[in-house]
Amino acid sequence: MEIGLNHYLVLSTILFAIGLVGVMRRKNLLLLFFATEILLNSVNIAFAAISHYYGDLTGQMFAFFVIAIAASEVAVGLGLLIVWYKRHGNIDLDTMSTMRG
Amino acid sequence: MEIYLYLALFSPLVGSLFAALFTTKSKTLVAGVVPSLLLFTSFVSSSILLVHILNGGAPVHVEMMTWMATGDLYIPFGFVVDQVSVTMMMVVTIVSTVVHVYSIGYMDHDKSFNRFFAWLSAFVFSMLILVMSDNYAGLFIGWEGVGLCSWGLIGFWFHKESASWAANEAFIMNRIADLGMLIGIFLVYWNTGSLQYDHVFEAFKGLDVDTLALIGIFLFIGAMGKSAQFPLHTWLADAMEGPTPVSALIHAATMVTAGVYLVVRSNELYSLIPEIGLFIASLGAFVAIFAASMALVNRDMKRIIAYSTLSQLGYMFAAAGLGAYWVALFHLMAHAFFKALLFLGAGNVMHAMHDELDPFKMGGLGKTMKATMVMMTLASVALAGLFPLAGFFSKDAILEAAFVEHHYVIYSVLLFTAGLTAFYSFRLVALIFHGEERYTLFGIHPHEAYKFMLVAMSPLLLLAIIAGSLKMTYFEMVTAILPDIEYHIHSHVTFWIMTIGTQLFVVIAILYAYKKYTTIGMNVPDGTSETENTFMYKLLKNQYYIPYAYDEYIVKPYTKLSALFWTEIDQKVVDATVDGIAGVIYDSGEQTRDMQDGNLSTMLRWMVIGTIALLILAVMFGLTARYAHVLG
Amino acid sequence: MVDHILSILIFFPALAGMFGFMINKDSIRAYGVAVGVIEFALSLLLWFWFDGGVAGMQFMEQIPLLPSFGINYILGVDGISLFIIVLSAFITMIGIASLTETPNVKNMIVTLLFLQMTMVGVFSALDGIVFYVFWELSLVPMLYIIGAWGGPLRIYASIKFFLYTFAGSLVMLVGMLFMAYFYYQATGEWSFAILDWYRLILPENLQLWLFLAFFLGFAIKVPMFPFHTWLPYAHGQAPTIGSVILAAILLKMGTYAFIRFSLPMFPDASVALMTPIAIIAIIMIIYTAMVAFAQKDVKQVVAYSSISHMGVIIIGTFALNVEGISGSVFLMIAHGVVSGALFLLVGVIYDRRHTKLMSEFGGLAHVMPRYATIFGLMLMASVGLPLTINFVGEFLSLLGFYQQSHILTLLAGTAIIVGAIYMLAAYKKMFFGDVTKEENKNLPDVNKRELLALIPLSIITIWLGIYPKPVLEPINKSAEAIVQLMHDKSITDEAKMRIPSPLNKAQTSQTSSEGAH
Repeated sequence: MEIGLNHYLVLSTILFAIGLVGVMRRKNLLLLFFATEILLNSVNIAFAAISHYYGDLTGQMFAFFVIAIAASEVAVGLGLLIVWYKRHGNIDLDTMSTMRG
Repeated sequence: MEIYLYLALFSPLVGSLFAALFTTKSKTLVAGVVPSLLLFTSFVSSSILLVHILNGGAPVHVEMMTWMATGDLYIPFGFVVDQVSVTMMMVVTIVSTVVHVYSIGYMDHDKSFNRFFAWLSAFVFSMLILVMSDNYAGLFIGWEGVGLCSWGLIGFWFHKESASWAANEAFIMNRIADLGMLIGIFLVYWNTGSLQYDHVFEAFKGLDVDTLALIGIFLFIGAMGKSAQFPLHTWLADAMEGPTPVSALIHAATMVTAGVYLVVRSNELYSLIPEIGLFIASLGAFVAIFAASMALVNRDMKRIIAYSTLSQLGYMFAAAGLGAYWVALFHLMAHAFFKALLFLGAGNVMHAMHDELDPFKMGGLGKTMKATMVMMTLASVALAGLFPLAGFFSKDAILEAAFVEHHYVIYSVLLFTAGLTAFYSFRLVALIFHGEERYTLFGIHPHEAYKFMLVAMSPLLLLAIIAGSLKMTYFEMVTAILPDIEYHIHSHVTFWIMTIGTQLFVVIAILYAYKKYTTIGMNVPDGTSETENTFMYKLLKNQYYIPYAYDEYIVKPYTKLSALFWTEIDQKVVDATVDGIAGVIYDSGEQTRDMQDGNLSTMLRWMVIGTIALLILAVMFGLTARYAHVLG
Repeated sequence: MVDHILSILIFFPALAGMFGFMINKDSIRAYGVAVGVIEFALSLLLWFWFDGGVAGMQFMEQIPLLPSFGINYILGVDGISLFIIVLSAFITMIGIASLTETPNVKNMIVTLLFLQMTMVGVFSALDGIVFYVFWELSLVPMLYIIGAWGGPLRIYASIKFFLYTFAGSLVMLVGMLFMAYFYYQATGEWSFAILDWYRLILPENLQLWLFLAFFLGFAIKVPMFPFHTWLPYAHGQAPTIGSVILAAILLKMGTYAFIRFSLPMFPDASVALMTPIAIIAIIMIIYTAMVAFAQKDVKQVVAYSSISHMGVIIIGTFALNVEGISGSVFLMIAHGVVSGALFLLVGVIYDRRHTKLMSEFGGLAHVMPRYATIFGLMLMASVGLPLTINFVGEFLSLLGFYQQSHILTLLAGTAIIVGAIYMLAAYKKMFFGDVTKEENKNLPDVNKRELLALIPLSIITIWLGIYPKPVLEPINKSAEAIVQLMHDKSITDEAKMRIPSPLNKAQTSQTSSEGAH
C-alpha cells in the first residue's frame, strides 16, 4: 500500500485532535505549550502534504513560516512562563485568573 | 383721525409701562396719577373719534404692521374705528378713567399701589385692542390679554389663598372657552382664507349653513367663557376676590361684555344662522333667571352684584341672539355705567366697613354715607329698569324685541327676571343703608369715602341717568353697520299695558324688598329659620351645587388622574419597560460573565467551541452554496 | 470668509475649546464668554448675509471625504436651520455668561464649547454621515455635563440618556445606509448627500420602512411618547446649564431632523403615518401635561412641559402644509428661548435654596418681585399668550394641522388648557400665598449676572411675539420649498391631495380673485 495524501491528512487530523484535547485538558502551562506545538505541527504536516500533492511550493513555504513563528512564540512564551514561575512558584493554569470579568 | 386712534389705543399702554417701572418701589402717587391722565387722553381721543363718526365720517381703518404672514395666512395689526367699536371704546375709556381716579383713593393704603395701576392700565390697553382690532386674530390678542390682566388683578392680593385660587380658576376656565374660539378662528381661516372682518363677512355669504353653524358655535363658545355664560360661569362670582375697582371695571363693565361684543361684531355671521341665534338667546334668558335666582339669597355684597352682572349679560345675549344687535350693544353700554357705579359704591361701603362684605352686618349706613347711598340707590333703580333711568330704555327694548319676535317664553322669563332683579337690588340697598344699625355690634365706625372718589364716580351717575335719552341718536349711529330693526309693538294698547305692567311689577318687587329688609327686628339668617331649610333655599345658597360638582367631578379627578399617570403609568409602566429592556441586557451580561472567569483553560475551551461552531457554519454554507442548484 | 462661514461657525468653538485647556483658571470665564460672544456675532453675520429671498441652501461647502462611497463634507443652511444655529450660538453664549459657581469650571466651559461645535454641525450638515457624526458626538459632552456636575442620580441619568438616544440613532444609521444603497441602485453611484436623497423617489412600502427607521432615532431625541422617560431624569439630574442647552437646542435636533429628512424624503409615508403620529403627539400633549401637573419638583414641571410643547411642534410638522411647518419651526425657536429661560429661572432659585421642591417655597413674590415678574412673563409665554413668542408658533402649528384633521386639532388644542393648568398651579405654589418658610424670608432677588441672561431672553420673547416677521419670512420661504418638493415627488393620490402645493394654490387664488374682479 502506497502512502497517499489521505494518510497524511488522517495523521494530521489525529495529531490535531491530540493537540486540541491537550489544550483543553492540561492544567500545566508547560504541557499546554507542548499541546500547542502539536497543533501547529499537525497543520504543518497538512500543509506540506497538500503542497506536495499539488506540486505547489506555497504550502511548504507556509509551513516554514509557521515553524519560525512557533519558535519565536515558544521563546516569548517560555520567558513569560519563567517569570510567572518565579513570582508564584507554580505554573498551574487555574492560578491565572486575574483577567476575571 | 389716525393719530387719535393711536392715541386712544396706546396711551393706556404707556401708562401701564410707566406704572410698571415703579412696581418694586414703594407707593408713589405718580404711578397712579400718570396712568389716569393718560387714560383721560385716551378718553378724549375716543370722544373725538366718536364725534367724527357721529358726524357721518367714514370709519377709520389703519394697518399698523404685519404680525404673522406665512403660506396664505396674512395677519396684520389692523385697527378699525367704526360705529360699533367706537361705542365700546367710549364705554371702556369712560369707565376706566373713572375707575382709575377712584382707585387712587381706594388703593391709597395698599402697599402694591404701583403694581395695581400697571395691571389696570394694561387691562385697558388689551380691552381696546380687543374692540378696535379689524380681524379675529387681533381680537384674540385682546381676548387673551384681558384674560391675563384679569388673572393678575383677581389675584392681586396674592397672599390670600382664595384670591390666587380664583385667579387661576378664571384663567383656566377662560382658556377652555378660548380653545373653542381658536377652533372657530381656524374654521374661519380655512373656509374664507382670511381673518379680516370685511373679507370674512363677505365670504360668509358663499358658505353653506353647516359650516357657518359650526363657526358660529365655536366662536360663541369663546364668548361663553369671557362673558361667563352657563356652564362656564362659576369664575365670575369667585373673581370678586379682586379689589373692588377691578370688579367694577373688568367684571362688570368691560371684559365680561367682550363675548357680547364678539357676537355683535360677527352679526353678519349670526344673521345667517338664526337657529344658533335662537340657542344663544335661550341660553341668555336661562342665564338671566339662573343668575338672578342665586343673587336672591346670597350674603356677600359683591357676589350679589356679580350675579346681577351675570344676569344682565344674559339679557344682552338674549337680545343679540334674537338679532337685536343694537339693543344688545345699547344695554351693554347702559349696564356698564350703572353697574360700575354700583360696584364703586360697594367699594365705598367696604372701605367704611373695613372690608366687611355681609350686608346683614351693616344696615343704616345711609346716615353716614349719604352720597354713596344716593349713588347706589340710583344705580339700583337703573338696574331694576325704572323709568326714566338708563336701564328702563335698554331693558325695555330687549323685552320688546323678544315680544315682537314672538319668542314669548324668552319674553316671560326675562320679564320675571326683571322682577327678581328689582328685588335683590333693593334687598341689598335696604340691608346696607336702611334699617337697624347692626354694624354697631362689631364696633365699626363707618366714614364716607374721599371727596374726589365721589366726584370721580359722578360721571357714571350722570350717564346712568341720562343714557336712556340718547337711545335714538345712538340707534341712528350704530345701525349704519348693524341691522336696523326697530322693535315696535303695533298696538298702542298692548304697548302701554306692557310698559306700565312691567313698571308696576318692578315697583312692587322693590317695595316688597324694602318692607322685608328694613323692618326692625328682622331676623338675620343663621340657618335656623324655616325658609333656610327648604330645598330651594339651600339649592340657591349653594349656587345649585355647581361649584361643588366642578370641584368634585372635575378638579379632583383631574388631580388624581394626574398623580396616577405619573406614579403608576409613567414610572411603573413606561419607564419600567425601558429599564426592563436595559435590565434584560444587563442580566444576560451578568449570566454570561462566567465565560470570562479569567481561567485560561476555560477560555481555551470556549475558543475550541467557537472554532467548531465556525467550522460547522462554514461547512454548512459551503454545502448549501454547492448544492444550491439542486435544492432549487 | 463668506464661503466658509459655516465651517468657521462649527470649528471655531472647538478650536477655542482646545486652547481653553491652556488658559489660566481665573480667566477661563472671561475667555469662555468672549468665545461665546464671537461665535454669536458670527452667527448674526450668517443671518445678515443670508438671503431671505432664496428658498434653497446657502453657504454651501463641499469637501470630498470618501468620494468612492459618496461621503462628503457638505454644509449648507436654509431658512429652517438658520435660526436654530443662531439660537444655539445665543443660548450657549447666555449659558456661559450666566454660569454659576461650578467646580472644575474650566472643564465645563471647554465641554460647552465642544457641545457648541456639535450643535452647529448637526444643523448645518447636508451629508448623512456628517450629520450622523455630529449627532452622535453631541451626546458625549452632554453625557459628561450630566455625569460630572449632576445631582445624586447623575450616573444613572447620564447613562440612560446616552444609551437610549444612542440606541435610537443606530437604527437611524442603518436607515441612512439603506438610503445610500438605494441611491446606488437607482443611479449606480453612492451618495450620502441629503440633497441627492431628496431627488430619489421610493416606492411606498420602502418609504414606510425607512421612515420608521429614521423615526426611531428622531422620536427618542424629541422625545416622543413613549420614549420620553430619559428626559425627566436627564433634566432632574443635570446642572442648570445642561438643562438649558438640552431643552433649548438638543431636543430640537429631533424635530429639525423630521423636517430635514422624514418629510421631504418620504412624503407618502409621512402622509400614511400622519394620523398615528398625530395621536402620539396628542398623547404627548395631554398626558405629559397631566404628569407635569402632578410633579412636586419645579424642574420636573418644566421638563415635562417641554415634552408637552414638543408635541405641538410635531403636530405642526405633520400638518404637511406651509402654515404648519413654518409654525413648528418657529415654535422650535420659541420653545428654545422660553424653556431655556425657565430652566435658568429654576436654576436661580436652586442656587439660593438648594432645593427644587415647590412645597419648600411659597410667597416668593413678596421677597423676590423681579424674579416673580420674569418668571411670570416666561410662564405666560409658555402658556402661549398672544404677543409672546410661543403663541405665534403654537397658533400656526395648530392652524396648519386643522386643515388635516378637525377632531385631532381640537384635542391637540387642549394644550392651551392643560398647559395653563400645570403652569399656573406651579406658579401659585411657588410665588403666591404668604412666606411660610423662615429660609425664604431674606432671599436676595435676581442679581446682575442672572439678569444678564434673563433680560435678553425676555426681550426676544416679546419682540418675536409682536414682530415675528424677520424670522418667519425666511422660514416660510424654505417651508414652501419643502412642501412643494413633497407635493411634486409624492406618488400616492392621497399624498398629492393631503399635501397642497403652495405654488398651485397661489395661482388658483390669484385666478379666482381675478375672476371676482
